[in-house]
Amino acid sequence: MTAQTVQQGDLVTVIGLEVHVQLETDTKIFCGCSTEPTDEPNENVCPVCLGLPGALPVLNEGAVEAAVKIGKAIDADIPEETRFHRKNYYYPDLPKNFQITQYDEPICADGELEISVEGDRRTVAIERAHLEEDPGSLQHVGGGGGIDTAEYTLVDYNRAGTPLMEIVTAPDFRSPDEVRAFLAELEEVLEYLGVFDAERDGSLRIDANLSIIPEEEIDGDAEEIDGDALEAANRTEVKNISSHKGAQKALAYEETRQKNAIQRGRAVEQETRHWDESRGITVSMRSKEEEKDYRYFEEADLPPLQVSGWKAEIAIPELPRARRRRFQEEYGLSEEAASKLTSTKQVADFYEDVAGEFDPDLAATWVADNLLGELNYRDMEITEMEGRLEEVTRLVELVAEDEITAKNARETVLRSMLDDGASPDEIVEEEGLGKTDEDEVQQAVVEAIDENPGAVEDYESGDDGAINFLVGQVMQKTGGSADPGDVNQLLRAELEG
Amino acid sequence: MSDDAVSPEEVRHVAELARVGLEDDEVDQFTRQFADILEYFETLDEVPEVDREADLVNVMRPDEERDSLDSEEALRNAPETEDGYFKGPNVS
Repeated sequence: MTAQTVQQGDLVTVIGLEVHVQLETDTKIFCGCSTEPTDEPNENVCPVCLGLPGALPVLNEGAVEAAVKIGKAIDADIPEETRFHRKNYYYPDLPKNFQITQYDEPICADGELEISVEGDRRTVAIERAHLEEDPGSLQHVGGGGGIDTAEYTLVDYNRAGTPLMEIVTAPDFRSPDEVRAFLAELEEVLEYLGVFDAERDGSLRIDANLSIIPEEEIDGDAEEIDGDALEAANRTEVKNISSHKGAQKALAYEETRQKNAIQRGRAVEQETRHWDESRGITVSMRSKEEEKDYRYFEEADLPPLQVSGWKAEIAIPELPRARRRRFQEEYGLSEEAASKLTSTKQVADFYEDVAGEFDPDLAATWVADNLLGELNYRDMEITEMEGRLEEVTRLVELVAEDEITAKNARETVLRSMLDDGASPDEIVEEEGLGKTDEDEVQQAVVEAIDENPGAVEDYESGDDGAINFLVGQVMQKTGGSADPGDVNQLLRAELEG
Repeated sequence: MSDDAVSPEEVRHVAELARVGLEDDEVDQFTRQFADILEYFETLDEVPEVDREADLVNVMRPDEERDSLDSEEALRNAPETEDGYFKGPNVS
């Protein structure tokens, strides 16, 4: 882009992503080593993932299945034939000096994902998604631990060979917020498919290309951009992003940095930049290789794949967006409630269990507000409640059948279940929260009237507020377990009668 | 194949990609050797066409764990190790 001074309002941000996700398989993509994290380095390694001479890769069927599921979920084409290539570069995280990846025939092409940003729906085009192997991990030791200043490098190949899917979007994002919404939606979809674990360290890694172009290069509908204009603008590739929040921050920083440069009449360099999470800035990285330097060539040790037919054979579950819409229609939920209840597959499945037995609104309050609220407060996930969800269902039953008050259920029973691990029935018994039976309440009503002639007189002379005092007296006698509305009616009946 | 099949600049570039440092006289030497090596490949043009193995497709293994090397064995060929890691120079 020619350096020129322009107004901030004339500029539009254009972002495209390369998202690397680790696939949840039991073993690595080309060998039978476990993908489970270990305490010690170089425990899950073998001749294949160490790149020892003569070792041959054999493709993991589970990784291909996961890739086909992702392809279905993003509505991509699975081509008739797809194959692997070697990407050559010399760096110790790759023991073979090449990475097995896919080049011009990826397993998924032309997909899309719909996102919502502040209520607006947008469709992001996904150009391709391909399978590849993860490199090993390096530690830069000594000299302050910086990559430039370290004295030496320690290498652990446990991660080398973990299956990755690299998902490449079109330059369809216009803001860091849209990127964040996309990543959140993508993670939800991948978790629904059961091919991804967001909790796992390093399971999501993002490279983002960002350019700033003049607004007039954008067509009327603000979605389509002129390819030449994008080509003409210099872009930076921001690497080392590992979360939604990180992506939003890194890209907001980069957007401002480039806009400032343009406004001051300086050119934006076409370069690779590294997101430094702890300092909250991007820094220029020396990058020596260009695409042709990777000298891609076909991986002769892996025969081609013909798995387009798997698309029809492999089933995928209902995806979050569809489920959200169905929850609104089927259970009459608000968009907000439906969105909370579909945030993970476990939450949505649990909600449907509860809503199947009790009133869907009551179920929504209990799962979305009470349970998720209390879990969130304790920094817990619903997955940690595995095996105890029946107890939560039982608690909802106690409320639905009017055995305990909603307030006691929420504030005493649920909290104690989470903090002390007791069952709802135990807690109700121990705390004496069971709703008092009618005779007892009636008894308390009579007593309250006998003991408080002043209040009775006030009520009879037209002071309706006096009834509240009497309700309070009855509640006290019953230890808070009576229903205040019932008590009110019983008192009026007694006084009028 | 002519002598300029490979230029000294290309040799320097390939050496850079492979992180190999070459002196000027070595660049000249490798330029000549690369040209020679490429010439050997021309011999393949004389090989008659032969049938090859039937094309394989979809060679896969089930997602089942197999024994890994124990880490002592894995590190056995490494020139230097530290606490179970392979150890190498700074690689910035």
